[in-house]
Amino acid sequence: MPDSSDTPESRPTVEEAPTGIGVDEWVAQAGELREGHRGLTAPARRAFDSLRPGWRLAIVAVAAATVPYLVKPGGVRIAIGILILAMLALGLNVVVGWAGLLDLGFVAFFGFGAYFYAIVASEQLPAHWPTWIALPIIVFFSGALGVLVSLASRRVAGDYLAILTLFFSLIFVELVRNFQRLPFVSEDLNLTGGPNGIPGVDPWDFFGFKINTFNRHYYVLLVLIVLLIIVLHNLSSSRTGRAWRAIRDDVLAAEHMTIPVNNMMLLAFATGAAIAGFTGTVFAAVTVGVFPTSFTLAFLITVYSAVILGGAGSIPGVLLGALVIGYLPELLRSPRLAGWLFYFGLLVALALLIRPWQRLVAVIGGVVAFGYAVRIVAAAVWSDATTGTAAEGFISELLDGWVLILGENAQIITNIAFVAAIAGALAVTVVKGWWQVAVLIPTIYLGVLVWENRLVFQPSLTRQLVFGALLVIMMAVRPQGLLGKRRVEIT
Amino acid sequence: MKKGKRKLQSNAVMLIMVLGLVAAACGTSDDTTTTTVAPTTTAAAAAATTTAAAETTTTEMVPVVCEATIGLMAPITGPVAFIGEVQLNWAKYAVDVWNEGMGWDVKLIEGDTMFDVAQSATLAAQFIDNTDILAIVGPAGSDQVDAAGAVFEAGDANLTFISPSSTRIGIAEKYAGMFRTVPTDADQGPSTSAFMVDAGASKVFMVDDQSSYSTGLADVTADSLEAAGVEVVRESVSQDVTDFSALVATIPDDTSWVYLPWQVAANGQIFGNQMAEQGKDIPIFGSDGMESEDFTIAGSIIAAFAGDIAGIPDSVPLLEGFLEQYPETNTFGPPVFAAVTTELVAIDVLCQSGNDLTRENVLGAIQAINRPTSILGQAISFAPSGDLIGGRFFFFEIQEDGTKTAIGG
Amino acid sequence: MEFFLQQTLNGLTLGSVYALLAIGYSMVYGILKLLNFAHGEVYMFGAFAGYGVLTLLGGPASPVVPVWLLLILMFAGAVVVSSAIGVAMERFAYRPLRQSSRIAPLISAIGVSFFLQASALFLFTAGFRTYDTPKLIDISTGITVGPIRVWLVRVLVIVGTAVVMVVLTLWVSRSRTGKAVRAVSFDREAAEMMGVNVNHVIVVTFLIGSALAGISGVMTALVFGRIFHFMGFIAGLKAFTAAVVGGIGSIPGAMLGGLLIGMAESYTTGYISSTFQNLIVFGLLILVLLIKPTGLLGKPQLVKV
Repeated sequence: MPDSSDTPESRPTVEEAPTGIGVDEWVAQAGELREGHRGLTAPARRAFDSLRPGWRLAIVAVAAATVPYLVKPGGVRIAIGILILAMLALGLNVVVGWAGLLDLGFVAFFGFGAYFYAIVASEQLPAHWPTWIALPIIVFFSGALGVLVSLASRRVAGDYLAILTLFFSLIFVELVRNFQRLPFVSEDLNLTGGPNGIPGVDPWDFFGFKINTFNRHYYVLLVLIVLLIIVLHNLSSSRTGRAWRAIRDDVLAAEHMTIPVNNMMLLAFATGAAIAGFTGTVFAAVTVGVFPTSFTLAFLITVYSAVILGGAGSIPGVLLGALVIGYLPELLRSPRLAGWLFYFGLLVALALLIRPWQRLVAVIGGVVAFGYAVRIVAAAVWSDATTGTAAEGFISELLDGWVLILGENAQIITNIAFVAAIAGALAVTVVKGWWQVAVLIPTIYLGVLVWENRLVFQPSLTRQLVFGALLVIMMAVRPQGLLGKRRVEIT
Repeated sequence: MKKGKRKLQSNAVMLIMVLGLVAAACGTSDDTTTTTVAPTTTAAAAAATTTAAAETTTTEMVPVVCEATIGLMAPITGPVAFIGEVQLNWAKYAVDVWNEGMGWDVKLIEGDTMFDVAQSATLAAQFIDNTDILAIVGPAGSDQVDAAGAVFEAGDANLTFISPSSTRIGIAEKYAGMFRTVPTDADQGPSTSAFMVDAGASKVFMVDDQSSYSTGLADVTADSLEAAGVEVVRESVSQDVTDFSALVATIPDDTSWVYLPWQVAANGQIFGNQMAEQGKDIPIFGSDGMESEDFTIAGSIIAAFAGDIAGIPDSVPLLEGFLEQYPETNTFGPPVFAAVTTELVAIDVLCQSGNDLTRENVLGAIQAINRPTSILGQAISFAPSGDLIGGRFFFFEIQEDGTKTAIGG
Repeated sequence: MEFFLQQTLNGLTLGSVYALLAIGYSMVYGILKLLNFAHGEVYMFGAFAGYGVLTLLGGPASPVVPVWLLLILMFAGAVVVSSAIGVAMERFAYRPLRQSSRIAPLISAIGVSFFLQASALFLFTAGFRTYDTPKLIDISTGITVGPIRVWLVRVLVIVGTAVVMVVLTLWVSRSRTGKAVRAVSFDREAAEMMGVNVNHVIVVTFLIGSALAGISGVMTALVFGRIFHFMGFIAGLKAFTAAVVGGIGSIPGAMLGGLLIGMAESYTTGYISSTFQNLIVFGLLILVLLIKPTGLLGKPQLVKV
């Protein structure tokens, strides 16, 4: 249906194919199919895609294997965290991406596996099961739990399934935190450690070979993920995978094609739960402890972001998503890098969005002029308003003479500037033509003002702001995820 | 034609962006940052100089100016940002005061744990890699201490980390690098219980907030009370509960004290208000987490792990200097100041005696340190386990006008 | 008896706040089939807006205008701020995703939620603020219901919520726009073909839902006192639960769900234990969903082939 503002600029081009009545997946992807791969990196990408999946995996795996030699030990620990996230994303991809079930209880299976391992491999009971016995048992029981949850939620569909599984994960955290206070449990049986969790978990131990350094963890994890990818890839191209995709697209049609829908859903849940449980044991061993606070909704959101951002339903997609979601917040911890990102991103966004180049020049020139004007006015009006100190760093020093550095009342002025800058940024997307330039200039200036005066001194806060904004922008620009394919929802 | 060109342009830009990011990322591995703010008033700086100068081993020569970087792990954003923000501000303040007084250029690198275990682990990993960092202050919560400690041990880092707020019994012993500038639950529980027993309590209604801090403390206090023959009614609520009216209604009328060992003082205020609403005229006893401007129920008693530093004459200028720059403070602040200053004093000792500034040496220096005074009004030295020697709890009664007067303890 | 009345009252107050918030969730879901995770942040900003008005007009101890006027202004301020944020959210974060899969707007909502939380931290810093309502309306002022005293503020919340719900129900069933809202939530394409301006209706829905969230925020702060940047997260979760349990897409269902959860929490704490409050309430809700899979007042969804 045409949008009410049906001007030439808003009519969809081939790149944004129409979706809605009478449009199917092929048409939705038509734009991408027709364009093929274009651009600077096209030959490399085309060559990569033409390889058989096995070779592609090999290249990526070898590249990943060199990581510990390229980074310092702490970096390996971060990479381990990313690999754990990737494994979880692969598991969630089975449930959400392939079978289309909105499972909000996924993190509970993760926690279940982690706690199970912690209970059987630590001083808690005490019990020190050998790893090669513990792991298969835990995977089995996690899968069984998945089946149980799926059975219980058979009658509910869609978003009700979501809420049911959400309750399940919330109940899990509560149970684990308050286990020994339950009326029928004796005070002495401290199974889950209560709010303190279970610290001091045994590392994985394969007949004397202990996995207790960063590098060992990393390589073991890498091998496991490669194996998992191979298994999942084969699953995906098998009858089961096709059945799942059929269910995701249209349950009723699938049923009529004699696909056993309920059993397939059970299988999807169980597979996802088993993978999550297994990853839980890895997590417990790596973190050397489990705590109830690790398995909250916030973490579930992280895993979901990785899957959807990367492209639900595509294995390379969720891996890329895990890499981005896992690594980006760590990158953003550094204020200098955040500063680079901010200015770089600003310039790039301007360059991309403002055409023709005359307008771009007008904007940048305007901002510079505006900055000097504000400085002169401020110096004349408030003599002691500009007594703050600028931040260190190449960019800040460059801008020191241009941007207004506030002293008194910095808090209130930057608050107002912040709100105004956001409002301006939003307004820019709405207006057209030279109005855009007019609104853009003060907006950019205010943004830089807020940045140099407050945000650059508060890297932790900026990290959240940037992360949130990036999520919104990335989804708006590419809703199917980085490597996902556009699909049509049949409602 | 035009579309193709646009695609080419946008791809080129994407490529440049990615390259730029990679370049910047490579350049950040030895990244340091100053989070400087305008310098403080001289009164505070003078106070710090005298304290610092008095503590360092005297040298006859001109003191050497050294370089140091301290890392901070705190929950700056996330559910307990009110703790992290104050910890961050006091850490920045401690560094500023030191730089002013000693003429150094100490850098503080802040790290946000978001009160989350996984984030603490990755943050610890990043700090290991940043070879400038000589010592760490934090993390705040005992779970995060466990996570970070595991990473430090696995990475063989020899990093000192002084937690300014983790009170769980036994943690400092577990990790060689861990110390704390606060006493543990093993101190607070029995002293709280003794106070109540002395006041003639017969029944105590105890509510914990299901956090690791709260349950640990409640357990120890309940044990002490029951050993003294006092009846204890235990309840618990989770921290995200907004309404305690239902719980308040269950408080028995013959209760002598309501004990709230909570982390979030503002919740305690709500609880107290709702008690008044329902006519329950029973005094509240709060733990150190309740020592905050957010909790002002008149007639309540709270514990604090430092004498309210407003009551310590030598620390008052420091407090005033802090409040000139930063909007608010609470009980979590001064131990951070003490921790940062202790680390800097240790580094100073090493520096003046010509030793290398390595993490191992810093660890040794802190183990052996003995500061006669500190902002907390007591000497600072650590037991072999890493616990603070001589830490004790102080009790205050909240008056009608919100001020706190020291009592007993 | 007194105890029971007390707990009922507590449950009603809590439930009212949840109900108002849940209605916003339900309305947005009914129209867009979108779970707006950022709804809780709108509620949080509403509470802060009310705080801003309160401080501007002298603070709880010495307001410059009479108390009743102050309250009205606080609610008005909250409504303005919340609606603005809600409408902006819809326009910039959700509208571009209207044609894409159901899951994509979820991530966008999560991004908006992070951004709003961080903005609140930036604007207000991390400390807790309190309305300090006992200074504004003394704790002893109130009415007497049987053997117990009820604080005036609680009466305000309960009565106010009831009024709002009545007005809303009337609006949805009688007015033109209300009918348009119902039409669009039933079948968007058919409504469009019948000449309903769908964009306009969606904006109105977000406006009303967010306004209600703002009101709920101020009410919460009045009764329970503390506001901080993270308060939206938990409240949003409870409201989402209430909306689904009541039957998502149904406004009376959201009201019922909210009240149900509030009462369940109160009675559980009072008669069983506060430790397991969350556990038991969740268990109860699971039971409800298992017995009635589309929620208490939800209509079974017709699946068209």
